[in-house]
Amino acid sequence: MSVAELKERHIAATATVNALRERLKQKRTLLLDTDGSSSCYSHFAGYARSQGRTPVSFGPTDLVCCRILQGHTGKVYSLDWTPEKNRIVSASQDGRLIVWNALTSQKTHAIKLPCAWVMTCAFSPNGQSVACGGLDSVCSIFNLNSPVDKDGNLPVSRMLSGHKGYVSSCQYVPDEDTHLITSSGDQTCVLWDVTTGQRLSVFGGEFPSGHTADVLSVSINGSNSKMFVSGSCDATARLWDTRIASRAVRTFHGHEGDVNTVKFFPDGQRFGTGSGDGTCRLFDMRTGHQLQVYHQQHAAADGEVPHVTSIAFSISGRLLFAAYSNNDCYVWDTLVAKVVLNLRSLQNSHEGRITCLGLSADGSALCTGSWDKNLKIWAFGGDRREI
Amino acid sequence: MASPTRSSSPVPSLPPPRPKSPPQYPDLYGKRRELLKVQMLEREIGFLEEELKSLEGLQPASRRCKEVHDFLMANPDPLIPTNRKIRRSHRFWKWLCGKSCFNFSWICCCFSGCSLRLSMPSCCNCCPSMKCWFCRWPRCHWPRCSWPSCTWPSCTWPSCTWPSCTWPRCACLRCTCPHCTCIHCHCPHCHLPTCCCCYFCCCLEKPSCGQCCTLPSLSCPDCDPCSGCTCSCPKCTKVCHCSNCTKTCCSPCYLC
Repeated sequence: MSVAELKERHIAATATVNALRERLKQKRTLLLDTDGSSSCYSHFAGYARSQGRTPVSFGPTDLVCCRILQGHTGKVYSLDWTPEKNRIVSASQDGRLIVWNALTSQKTHAIKLPCAWVMTCAFSPNGQSVACGGLDSVCSIFNLNSPVDKDGNLPVSRMLSGHKGYVSSCQYVPDEDTHLITSSGDQTCVLWDVTTGQRLSVFGGEFPSGHTADVLSVSINGSNSKMFVSGSCDATARLWDTRIASRAVRTFHGHEGDVNTVKFFPDGQRFGTGSGDGTCRLFDMRTGHQLQVYHQQHAAADGEVPHVTSIAFSISGRLLFAAYSNNDCYVWDTLVAKVVLNLRSLQNSHEGRITCLGLSADGSALCTGSWDKNLKIWAFGGDRREI
Repeated sequence: MASPTRSSSPVPSLPPPRPKSPPQYPDLYGKRRELLKVQMLEREIGFLEEELKSLEGLQPASRRCKEVHDFLMANPDPLIPTNRKIRRSHRFWKWLCGKSCFNFSWICCCFSGCSLRLSMPSCCNCCPSMKCWFCRWPRCHWPRCSWPSCTWPSCTWPSCTWPSCTWPRCACLRCTCPHCTCIHCHCPHCHLPTCCCCYFCCCLEKPSCGQCCTLPSLSCPDCDPCSGCTCSCPKCTKVCHCSNCTKTCCSPCYLC
């Protein structure tokens, strides 16, 4: 076959792909039968309204900043809680990881990184190790119990090399201290064996098919750790089965911009996304339905739509915390799709953009990290009404 | 000078030179790439047709919405205001915990240095959970703490490093880039680069344009002579805002 014929086949195949995607989109729209309206924003919320549900009501002092973790000298880019105890690891533009005791605000470790351009960090399930990655395209592992070297620095215990682009996000597989998943600017996600440093599986890349642009975020299903979701600059989220690297289980379309952040819903059957198009969305993992879009106009003098930088669900799933590039941090009532609070309006709020969010394991506290170099912990400080 | 004599046999005339066009080599590399692209698209068509088929018997979204709704209504949330009954016996502890919360049953307050000799209850109704975020107790490092006179955050316990902490003790200066607030550190022991480290600043929403920039490159107009490079990637639309940059390149300042 000649190159010219191949090019014709390429054009025809592209047209077929676009037509099939359009048919899929229309069929899915027909399956969104919740409130009978043609709005694409109100499916789940419409159902909740039909059940008579009202939004959560927060008083002005219900959610309070109870800790300020100061110590970084650069913007904070990532944070992660330990699964059991109240410790936090944070990564900053100052080229350090800090491990904090969240209750006492004490720093237990300050790790100077071999590459200052760190973008992500994560705690191992047993809390004994931390992982980080960034523009060096490597995921570095530090054992917190290792002796420091002669310069007083904690040595790298393992380097996970293989990505051909920056490491944007990393997460340990729940209950498995030896396995970790990373996402990268090379359009792939990788499952690693931390003890050997080997890549066990590569998800995406040119062959096999996967994301077609930088992958920015991963989230592993807490109820079924064989499944994880990734979000990408190709405006899609993809669901993967770690046992099948050849193709994504499902691709979720809908966003109109980069999918900057993904997070599984607490029931393990749904997941949320946050995007450069300014919306958060709730997708059903098994059916692919887009159940809800969380979108609200922000007050912006220049009319620019702020993009979503990070999301987190409360332990019940009722609250969705979403940080935006304009320094807002909305608290959404996921049931009725209403903004019930903006952390930016509270006392002691951050002075800069919030880049990362995370809930403690017991759901009693939210930690936020910001360009203002601080981390802050928020908890419920209101009176529970007594009867 | 005598003229040259002519030869008797005629000299055949040579045809004029005709330079040939270079031979047409088959563009194997281009064909192979095109074939791969077509194969990927055809594979994608297969996946999409499978997905269309799978929608045939799919439950409508309302079923899924009901599942989510029931899940949300079934589970309590420590961050959400609720109504709650309290028992009479807990009201004393609630009064006591008005200022501080004794929510750590493993810390006994019967130490002789403590003015309040009370054993703590195992739970406290003024706190949302067993790990009280509003308890000032753990900040005072007992037994040196002289509670209740310890006035955190000014605790002087030797190992307390808040808020007077000067770690990491680098004499850092501000970057000259007008758009970012990154650190320009001169500390000889610090591994921070000595140039603008705004790899993630406002002039760049994502770490790189994956099409044209190769990472990482530490040169910066602050410290390297500017070579006036031009980015040839047609898709890259970035503009360097660093005040020291004189490049026409569209790559951000830390990459060129």
